[in-house]
Formats: sequence, structure tokens, C-alpha cells
Amino acid sequence: MSNFNFSSRAVEITVLSGESLQIDRRPIKKNTFVVVRSIGGNDFCSTEIDTNGGSNPKWNQKLVLELPVQAAALTVEVYCKIMTGIRLVGTATVPISDFSGGYLPDNYLHFLSYRLRDEESERNGIINLSVKTKFAAAEVPEYRSCVASSSSSTASVVGVPTSKKYSSGIVTGFPVFGPLLDHNNGII
Amino acid sequence: MGNCCSDEAGGRSAVGGTSASHANPNSGPNDAVERFLLYRGYQGCFSQIELSFSASSLRDRDVFSKSDPMVVIYTKGRDEPLIELGRTEVILNSVDPTWITKHTLTYHFEVVQYLVFRVYDIDTQFHNVDVKTLKLDEQQFLGEATCALSQIMIKQDRSLTIDLMHREESTRETRPRHCGKITVRAEESVSSKTTVEMILSCIDLEYKDLFSRSDPFLVISKVVDRDITIPICKTEVLKNELKPQWKPIYLSIQQAGSKDQQLVIECFNFNSNGKHDLIGKVETSLADLEKLQFSKQGEQLYLPTAVGHHHENKVLKSRLFVDKFSESVQHTFLDYLAGGFELNFMVAIDFTASNGNPRLPDSLHYIDPSGRPNAYQRAIIEVGEVVQFYDTDKRFPAWGFGARPIDGPVSHCFYLNGSSHYYEVEGIQGIMTAYAGALRNVSLAGPTLFGPVISYAASIASQSLADGGRKYYVLLIITDGVVTDLQETRDAIVKASDLPLSILIVGVGGADFKEMEILDADKGGRLESSSGRVASRDIVQFVPFRDVQSGEISVVQALLAELPSQFLTYMRTRDIKPNV
Repeated sequence: MSNFNFSSRAVEITVLSGESLQIDRRPIKKNTFVVVRSIGGNDFCSTEIDTNGGSNPKWNQKLVLELPVQAAALTVEVYCKIMTGIRLVGTATVPISDFSGGYLPDNYLHFLSYRLRDEESERNGIINLSVKTKFAAAEVPEYRSCVASSSSSTASVVGVPTSKKYSSGIVTGFPVFGPLLDHNNGII
Repeated sequence: MGNCCSDEAGGRSAVGGTSASHANPNSGPNDAVERFLLYRGYQGCFSQIELSFSASSLRDRDVFSKSDPMVVIYTKGRDEPLIELGRTEVILNSVDPTWITKHTLTYHFEVVQYLVFRVYDIDTQFHNVDVKTLKLDEQQFLGEATCALSQIMIKQDRSLTIDLMHREESTRETRPRHCGKITVRAEESVSSKTTVEMILSCIDLEYKDLFSRSDPFLVISKVVDRDITIPICKTEVLKNELKPQWKPIYLSIQQAGSKDQQLVIECFNFNSNGKHDLIGKVETSLADLEKLQFSKQGEQLYLPTAVGHHHENKVLKSRLFVDKFSESVQHTFLDYLAGGFELNFMVAIDFTASNGNPRLPDSLHYIDPSGRPNAYQRAIIEVGEVVQFYDTDKRFPAWGFGARPIDGPVSHCFYLNGSSHYYEVEGIQGIMTAYAGALRNVSLAGPTLFGPVISYAASIASQSLADGGRKYYVLLIITDGVVTDLQETRDAIVKASDLPLSILIVGVGGADFKEMEILDADKGGRLESSSGRVASRDIVQFVPFRDVQSGEISVVQALLAELPSQFLTYMRTRDIKPNV
């Protein structure tokens, strides 16, 4: 790969869809969204809320994330907004090596799918993504914030999780949602 | 399907024979596969092809004038007699004719469709006779040419010129007589490619349920005869809705027949017992629906009611609206072929000890001195025969696994030709030679590992992508046993699902192949690797070869049938265009 000159690079992640998402073993009815973040970096992005896909939501939303060059993976977290707050549906870890390195051309569009696991490491549904690496360093600042190119009719954009707890590069904690969390203590 | 162009008056007589192609024994499994693919939304793999013909320098058989030629089109299965598909019109006094009559047939990827063209000089006394009724043995034979349909389809301009041969004389003379050339042009009918997207809605539907509002859904059917309709499309059921708007409907023009084809849209009230009651219906066509969308007017539904012996149509207050109507042209598999995309064929053969000592007749690897191919050879020939047409250089990578090459440790991916530098062999014959050679030079061992071979194939596919290749790879693995490294195999397949690669696995012998079925995503859930990555698409097809030996249906057809759709899924999701 030819990215040694940059301290970070931008990746374009299209969060396509989810499959058979569940909460408490029941199919989710609506209001799911996805947060993508780099492990070891500060950057994260969120999709809008899907309102009509049920347990098979389609976001089709392009997010651009800045990855530090030393980052080994990024995480994809699926949340569901319910009456009492926001719940984590499941997380998937995407190793950088799944979309860079090897013989493939740098600008190759990768279609990647991952099994989601909830906080008890129980299998949940599947998340489908497409990932493309962007190399032009100059473009990076422009994309600092999330680019919401979705044409979904959803008006409400959820507050993106504000704090993260990481220890030694492994995700152990989950975003804190302020007061919303109180209702969910038993779960998170 | 074969009757698609029967409304073309000029072509009627010649086209009438298309149904004959459906009478051949291959049509059974193909129809099933076709329905299966249609159900999954893939219409591109079974394209309607229109053949047109011209010839040059035909032999002059008439004494006082030039020949009056006509082409007769036949199809030919392996070891089967010719079946006539149709005839062109007779062109008067020409040795360089261009015929007007087109012949339509359905292109199937998974079979080699051999076509035979015979040109006859029609005697003047028969000129007022319908070409269909002409007795061919009374006519002068000018020559014959043979080709596979796929040979035409892979040509950039989709036309192939072949030398005409004279049957009787070619046996007597060593030097073939000059009989002229015939050019066959194939065109995919545009209707194969065009898809219509529609959003339909209704207002003022009548109450059908006693205590609640209706649960309506629509069925769109095409009217083939006055009273016969064939359903082609159905919407979802909307609960408790008198003003329903259904999700978009996708309909290819090919499904409908044509834009002017008469259609019936029926609105039913869903009943869980299966006896849905008709709320009302509309007779229309795609062209009318398009107009309806443009005018934003609603079409009134009617309900046929029996009054004595007469049927009367009671016009209802309910109306049908077309909220969206758009046409789009999707590139088909054949477009990609014409655009220079190729299928590259690769073979990997199982040399594990469970096959039995190749020198003994009960071994799966036993090479019969009588020349009767063993199961491995048959699988190579049958798959290779179809795929080779789509590979221009006809150089195929060939590997073996699970054996010990001379003075080496067990290898799970060695070059079949015994070379240490290059893995490609020339043509199907090259694979056969390398296979027989390898049997003499390696000692069978084990275990059965697929991982290394799949990874090797994946690295070739990604290398070709890096070089800007327009290639899609097809790896054929022939094995006799259960795979030992199931998890590594799964990991390798999941990784390869992001690459232009499909894997065909043929199981030979009597082993239990249950675990193989897991690899084929059709038969279970999606493949998952040990790291939690999931295959982004289905790239594996598994078929046990023993099914073929007992039945009539070629297993290879089942194996290959999904290839075009796997190819298209790869290209379409990436928005790769064929640049035709």
C-alpha cells in the first residue's frame, strides 16, 4: 500500500443494511442506527435512523471516517432507539486488513458483511457494508464531520454518543447516553 | 417464452418452430431453473436472442440464373439427432443473400447450444409454396455450418462467419469444396434488458371484510388467450387499508411480453384461508399504465358479475393510480461478455488416498484403458466444455491437492502439470493430459484441505484485479471426500466472496457430503468465518456427481446455472459497466 506518507487516511464506509436484528430475541420493529468508529482514533460517524425497515433495516448511507495509520480495526455498532432510551443491538469489528493490503487495487470497492454480537457476545444479526479507501490527504478535513448523503425521509438525527471508554484497544464499554441510560441500567 | 415474437407476421412461419427447442429433453431442468431465477429477480441469464443470417459466395446451382437460397436452422444436442428450429424466407437469384426472417431462441448459459445451419437452393417450381411445407430432400443442398451459440455471443460485434461445408463431398474428397460462407448475427432483444419500476395505489376500495377494512393486494397477469391469464407479478398485502399504496413493483418487459401486451391487474382482499375475494380489476398494458402515470388520472376498477347467462362488468367507484413509472435498462450477462469480460476457468483435483489406488479398477482415479472417462474426467469435460467458450486464451490453471509429489512432503496445492514454474495448461485436453500425468507421478495421501487451493485462486483473482483485468474466475474443485479443514475453507470462501470468483464443487464417489452442503449458501445460512466476517454473497455451488449417473439431468447444468447470476451480482453491486 502506498499510504506511508499520511498520518491518517480516510475511508468511505457505506452502511448498507442490517439483517435479522433482534433485541431480547425478538425482531426489532424500527428505529435502528449505526455508529462507525476507529479503534484508537477519535473519529466516529453515525447514520440516520431507519424507520421502516424493521429488523432488516436499509440505511444506504455513506460515512467518511478518518483512520489513524496505526489503527488495526474499526468497529461498527448498531443501536436501536426505543421508548426508554437507546440500546446497543450488537457490535462488529472490521479489521483494516479486510479492505486494504494484499494485491487488490487501492480504490477497490469492498463489500463486507459481519456477524453482530451483543454485549454478552451472543450472536445477533448481520451488518452489510461497502468500504473504499480514499487516499487524497487533502480531502480529509472536508470530511471531518459525517456526510449524510442518504435520501431517507427520516428527519430526526440522533445525538451521537459523546464519550467512549477503551482500554488497550479492545472495546469494553459502550457509549454513554446521559440520562437516557438510567432507564436501561439493567441492560447496559 | 418461445412465442415471444409470434406477433411478428413476417417471421411467423419461420419462428413457428421455436417451440421445438422446448421439446428437447433439456428443457425440463432449464425451465425449473428459469423459474427459480425469475423468482429471485434475475432475468438476465435467460436472454431472448434474435439470429439473423447472411451469406456470401454461395455455389451457383441453377443453370440459367443464380441460386435461390434459404436457411434452415437446427439445434443439436450431444449424440442427438438434429431438431429443426425454423426456416428463413427464400431469396431469389442471389449468391450473396441477406435474409430478413429472424429466428428467436433462448440463450442458456449452462448448456452448450450447438446450432446447425443448412442452406438450400429452392427450385423455382416451389416458389409459391409456404417455406414450412417444403420437402428439403427435393431441394438442392448448398452447404452446412455448425457453431455453438456461445461462440457468437462472446464476439464483440456478436456476429460469426463460418465456412459452409458440403456433407457428401467432404467425405469423398479430402479437399473441402468451396461452398461460401454464412454469417450469423445474434442480437439480444432489448426487452430482455428493460425493467419497469411502478408504484401502484388504489382509492375507494370496497369493504369486503365484515368487521374490518379490506386487506388488499394486486396481482398482475398477462392475457395470453381470451380467457387464459398468466400471473407475472404480485404485491404485498396491506392490512386494513382502503387507500393502499404498495411497494414498488419491478417487472421486466420480457416478463410482460411487450409494452403493448394486454395485462390484467386484479385487486384481491387477502383471506388467510387462501380464498381471496376479488375486489375489482382493470385491463391495461404497460403502455397504458405509463400514460396513466403521465396524466395522473385514475382508472376505474370493474367487477365481473353474472346476470343470468351473461357476464356484466359492474364499474366500481374504486380507482387505480400509477404513482411512479420508470424504465431502466440493466446490463445483462451477455452485455458483459460482448464488453470484453471473460470467465477464467481453474481446476483443482483431489488426490487424497481415499480415492483408492489409481491402478485398481475400483479407484475413483482409475483410468480405464478402454477410454471410458472416470468421474473426475467426466466432471472436467462437462464443466470445461461449457466454460471454455468464455475464456479466450483457453489456458487453464490446474492444481492437485492432498498428495505427495515425487520426493516431497504432502502438498495441498501442487501444479497438475508437474512443473514448478507455471500452473497453466492448454485447453481441456491439456487438463486431461496433466491429470493423467499427475496420477503417475504423485502418491496419494491426505488430509483433504481446500483452504490452500481456494486461497491460491483468490490471489490470482485479486492479482488480475490489480492489473485492471476484466475477468471473472471460476474454480472447479473435484473431490471424493469430506473436507478436513472446514473452518479454513470457510474463512477462505468468506474472504473470496469480495472477489470476482465463483467456486464450483463436484463431489464424486459415495462419501457423505453433508458438510459440503454447508458451504453452499443456498442450502443453509450465510457462511461465517472464525473472525465473525460473513460472506457478502454466495459464491459456492456444490453438486454430488453421483446424482447424474442415475438420472438423465446433467448435474453440470445445475452447477453452472447460477454462474451468470453470481457474475451479475458481483458486477452490479460494484456498478461495473460493460462499456458496450
